[in-house]
Amino acid sequence: MTDMKTTPPRRALDGIRVVDFSWVRAGPWATRWLGALGAEIIKIEWPESERGRLPSSTTPKGLEVNLNTSGNFNDTNVNKKSLTLNVRSPRGLEIVKRLIAKSDVVIENFSSRVLSKWGLGYPELAGIKPDIVYVSMSGYGHTGRNHHYTTFGPVAQAASGLTFLSGLPEKPPAGWGWSYMDDTGGMYGAMCALTGLYHRNMTGKGQHIDQSQMVSAVPLNGPALLDFTVNGRGSRRAGFPPGNRAHWPGTPLVGNYRGPTVAPHNAYRTHPGDYNDWCVIVCHSDEEWHRLVGVMGSPGWAGAETFATVAGRLEHQEAIDAGIEAWSLTLGKYELTERCQAAGVRAMPVQSAEDRVENDPQLRHRGMYFEMEHPALGRHKVQNAPFKLSETPAFNHAASPMIGEHTREIVEGLLGMSHEELRAGFDDGTFWPAKRARFAYMEDMLR
Amino acid sequence: MTDTHSAAGPLAGLRDLELADEKGQFCGKLLADLGADVIKIEPPGGEATRRAGPFLDDIPHPDRSLSFWYYNTSKRGITLAIETADGGRLFRELAIGADVILETSKPGRLASLGLDYEALARGNAGLVMCALTPFGQDGPWRDYATADLLHMAAGGEMASCGYDEADAPNAPPIAPGGGNAWHMGGHFAYMAIMAALVHRTVSGRGQYIDASIHEACALTTESAIANYVYRGETLLRQTGRHHAPGPSPRTQFLAKDGTYVCALVAGRLNPKYVQELAALFDAFGFAHDLADPKYRDAKAIAEATSHIIDDLVAGFIASHPAEAIYHAAQDRGFTWAAVRAPEDLLDDGHLRDRGFWKTVEHPELGRSFVYPGEAAIYNGTPWRISRRAPLLGEHNVEIFCGELGLSRGELSVLAESRVI
Repeated sequence: MTDMKTTPPRRALDGIRVVDFSWVRAGPWATRWLGALGAEIIKIEWPESERGRLPSSTTPKGLEVNLNTSGNFNDTNVNKKSLTLNVRSPRGLEIVKRLIAKSDVVIENFSSRVLSKWGLGYPELAGIKPDIVYVSMSGYGHTGRNHHYTTFGPVAQAASGLTFLSGLPEKPPAGWGWSYMDDTGGMYGAMCALTGLYHRNMTGKGQHIDQSQMVSAVPLNGPALLDFTVNGRGSRRAGFPPGNRAHWPGTPLVGNYRGPTVAPHNAYRTHPGDYNDWCVIVCHSDEEWHRLVGVMGSPGWAGAETFATVAGRLEHQEAIDAGIEAWSLTLGKYELTERCQAAGVRAMPVQSAEDRVENDPQLRHRGMYFEMEHPALGRHKVQNAPFKLSETPAFNHAASPMIGEHTREIVEGLLGMSHEELRAGFDDGTFWPAKRARFAYMEDMLR
Repeated sequence: MTDTHSAAGPLAGLRDLELADEKGQFCGKLLADLGADVIKIEPPGGEATRRAGPFLDDIPHPDRSLSFWYYNTSKRGITLAIETADGGRLFRELAIGADVILETSKPGRLASLGLDYEALARGNAGLVMCALTPFGQDGPWRDYATADLLHMAAGGEMASCGYDEADAPNAPPIAPGGGNAWHMGGHFAYMAIMAALVHRTVSGRGQYIDASIHEACALTTESAIANYVYRGETLLRQTGRHHAPGPSPRTQFLAKDGTYVCALVAGRLNPKYVQELAALFDAFGFAHDLADPKYRDAKAIAEATSHIIDDLVAGFIASHPAEAIYHAAQDRGFTWAAVRAPEDLLDDGHLRDRGFWKTVEHPELGRSFVYPGEAAIYNGTPWRISRRAPLLGEHNVEIFCGELGLSRGELSVLAESRVI
């Protein structure tokens, strides 16, 4: 430990510098959080091979789609600086190595072995900065016969077994409606970087961490895998996966890897019956079921003796679910949630993105969405951290960078190059493609 | 035990006390498999998660829950009623030597026992304590009851997952399976704990972390929030593929062996891609018309999208086994995969090459079982399971007598009083 009398840094990762070669979603989602925790994130970009800023399907209507107007890019890349640099030129390679020599962490999510081919593999970088924490985030990892395979979230989810565990019996897998493994791959990238940093600070030793998006998904199926390796029971079986239920009626009573085998345990339509007017209700015990019956106004059907036991409720789920839905359709999903929860019944609304941003009183209370100004996009809400650190709070402190916004600051300030060298680098294609139109802020930077 | 004698994990030397049910045990497993000494503190009689099925040979027993086994690898386990005077005292003694406390109890419970962060940190300024709870320590929903399904609803996962009308008419939103609310919360909690620990290496000081599972879930729907914030869009649920503002072409196709293949084709169709598709079809002897010169034109390809996807790609996949298509397609640069059931993964050569599967001994049973391993390979400090989950109270003697200095007689008295 260092001297206790020194003033503690304001954020957990103050003083940590990350060279961020990542793009698209998983890698940038990782470094976004390291940035919120206080690390200086230097995003290395090149407009000719950009995938993340473009194509954009989240540019506000009325704005030109260009490298600086993707809403999703903005939310995914807050808290970072952007350095445009042609790493595939000898001059660019030399400059990035000088930057790495002054950095703590390198994160990249290129296809396996791309950076090695460019001369930026772990052995080279450890030669420049012996205690570097080097995190590779790729689809299948750098080790293993399929290291060259490529992924997008849905493909990693399919190959790893995640997709299979979601859906209704006798139907195709419903899977995940987004790249869950881009979000989660990003989590693992950040977790690996932090773990490597902690170990470095304790021992002085860096290392290479080979994280794979597809492989990271497999441990999320742990109990299903053990059911097979221990009990010999696979997931290809009648009644599985059981949709939102804990068990599908009329099939063998086997666990669902989500929670206890109980009923009711389902999604129900709510008033007024639009696309996202649904709630979920779960009763873990007889007592919770009796409370739900009370909340529903003790309708006659619910008093049937056959519903008084968990075995009876599991057997007669169709009747119970129909009865609950007849009631739930009379209430809005938030009113239903409040009534159930006030009585100690497990219920929640199905929430769309709009619901979360506008209607969720808990997220509002906790400050989950916070407006930030972006020079091209204007003022918009950005997602905050789901944890509050009492001494070093994580927070968004900068909108996503315009491409190359910090090139001068880094090249002249951090690396100590001259303004003439900066201008020469723009002319010779080191800091921006020589023949590509520059943004106005680049012209300002070069004056 | 799995190779406990070789190099230590990156968190070696770190001690974590875990007061956690299903909400926090995964975060604790990550810490433990990465080398921390995690002491799981269960109520006498065992944590509720010992009652989670499936069970070994379908015989329910606190030491036979496969879910408990999986989520508690590499930990040591003791029993302690922290709400008793003796239990509280022993917990405080353990807390003095702890680096991290991870707890998932109802907000306010630990404070009511005098075991809140302020009290525990008085004797341990470097303590990092993380409360991982459904909604955090404050707010109108703070005391709401939850379950994985409830988090998948409120967090926004369900609004994005479900079926095309053609696949399942009138289907509800479908919550992803597998208990992922606890994974999402655990990932963010792990991140926060490690950030606090990194900070502690510089400042010497610990801190308190208030982490919310609901917020973690609400953050885990990729671009859904941006689609709303920047475009005002509500997204459609579609079978096995991305939510979208409007319907997009299907990506899941049934193969000859009854397994689906996830083939991302739409949005990628250009003359080069069509040529590569033709070569893939040719390699399997599958008849097609893609050699027609008209397919050198992007506009003609766009007009034939439905033919290429619904006739050719679907027909090709239907005529061969999923796994063969997956590997042949990936070898040619297609981002495709078989939609595998978890058990199919045991045959995966790539995972075998990475040493992913771990054999974990259960000495009390005289048996060993294969467990899934780690998400990443650390070249300096291994991430791996060091032992099976603890039996109920397995380390009571080792920790209460060996570390805290209780006599066997005192231990017996505490057991008789239901303190341990």
